[in-house]
Amino acid sequence: MLDILKDLIFSSGAVSLTGGNLVMWLVAFVLFYLAIRKQYEPLLLLPIAFGILIVNLPLTFLMEPEHGLIWFFYHYGIEQDIIPPLIFLGLGAMIDFGPLIANPKTLLLGAGAQAGLYVTFFAAVLFGFDLQEAASIAIIGGADGPTTIFLTSKLAPHLLGATAVSAYAYMALVPIIQPPMMKLLTTEHERKIVMSKLRPVSKLQRICFPIVTAMAIMLMVPTAAPLISMLMLGNLFKESGVVERLSKAASNELMNVVTIFLGLSVGATMTAGTFLSPKVLFIFFLGLFAFVISTGAGLIMAKIMNLFLKNKINPLIGAAGVSAVPMAARCVHKVGSEANRRNYLLMHAMGPNVAGVIGTVVAAAILLKNLG
Amino acid sequence: METDWSKVMEVFATGIIGVFVVMILLQILTQLSTRVIDVVENLDKGEGSSPEPKSPTVPPKG
Repeated sequence: MLDILKDLIFSSGAVSLTGGNLVMWLVAFVLFYLAIRKQYEPLLLLPIAFGILIVNLPLTFLMEPEHGLIWFFYHYGIEQDIIPPLIFLGLGAMIDFGPLIANPKTLLLGAGAQAGLYVTFFAAVLFGFDLQEAASIAIIGGADGPTTIFLTSKLAPHLLGATAVSAYAYMALVPIIQPPMMKLLTTEHERKIVMSKLRPVSKLQRICFPIVTAMAIMLMVPTAAPLISMLMLGNLFKESGVVERLSKAASNELMNVVTIFLGLSVGATMTAGTFLSPKVLFIFFLGLFAFVISTGAGLIMAKIMNLFLKNKINPLIGAAGVSAVPMAARCVHKVGSEANRRNYLLMHAMGPNVAGVIGTVVAAAILLKNLG
Repeated sequence: METDWSKVMEVFATGIIGVFVVMILLQILTQLSTRVIDVVENLDKGEGSSPEPKSPTVPPKG
């Protein structure tokens, strides 16, 4: 009887627990708290936290190559580039490109914000990361989770957990991170600028936009094809109005299913051995740096554009050039309306916000082309 | 491992320039396509509406 009990105890995972496992449990519980209590990006942080927890229970072998359940999700979903493009399909079916079509100049704001990303690339190299790792960290500044995962899984898969959690955490923290930067880089007078109403966009223009954009970007940067093709297909589903079932499936059922697999797989890459290193702390610091610099770059781009424009734009909308849709646009609207109660910037900020999604994909594709 | 600074500068410069070139081209294409569609739609509207009936010319009497 004693032998059976002894055998049971020594074959259990409990005796194989390490200090690292316990620290990772703590990380998982912090993310549970942020997701459930604070509701910061709960759709992603909750499965990520659960993935971290279960992969740090010894002897479960969930990430054992060729055997573990979550390894199969990770291998076929992320390593084989299936999940991020499917997320983009759903995203495309939800995004309204109307404000961008009505004011195409805002595409430049989406480009401006990406400058911050390259500054961070430079900084990460100075901190001692290799070029592939630096690119994976820099893309966090784009504030786009699927693009971050897409690029990191190709260039530096060992950093996947840290960059993904960093990207989603900072996206959730947009209302805290962005306003101080907005107030620092704009004057009260600039924040008060009221923008004229956007022109109406016809149905045909909305239908043509995803087709023209997909063709143009894929011809110019073929490495952007997996993400941009799915994003534009999803949007075409939505705008065509003839495949409502597909549009709804892409934006609801499919999106929800792949989000579960994405969150679990990303969380499961965060074992104590890979996550608990000084490098990860630097990644979180540089991720924040990337996000702040990208916000600043978008604001400065808007101010530069104002030097040449007859009808001035409110430079706050430049901050929405990072892609965190729609939080960044909401944040711009809030800061703008605090400066001037007559200001309604939400729709104006949605233009650069969705331009930021396209810009981040283009930036990631160029990094992939140069370093992949 | 030694950092290849020439590669860093290449990635930095081609990245920034590349993103701007692609986005500017996309802006031009978007503006162009929306203008073409505006013109086509305005033409369609013009053709769709029936011409205003001309007031019948009455030969002057006299």
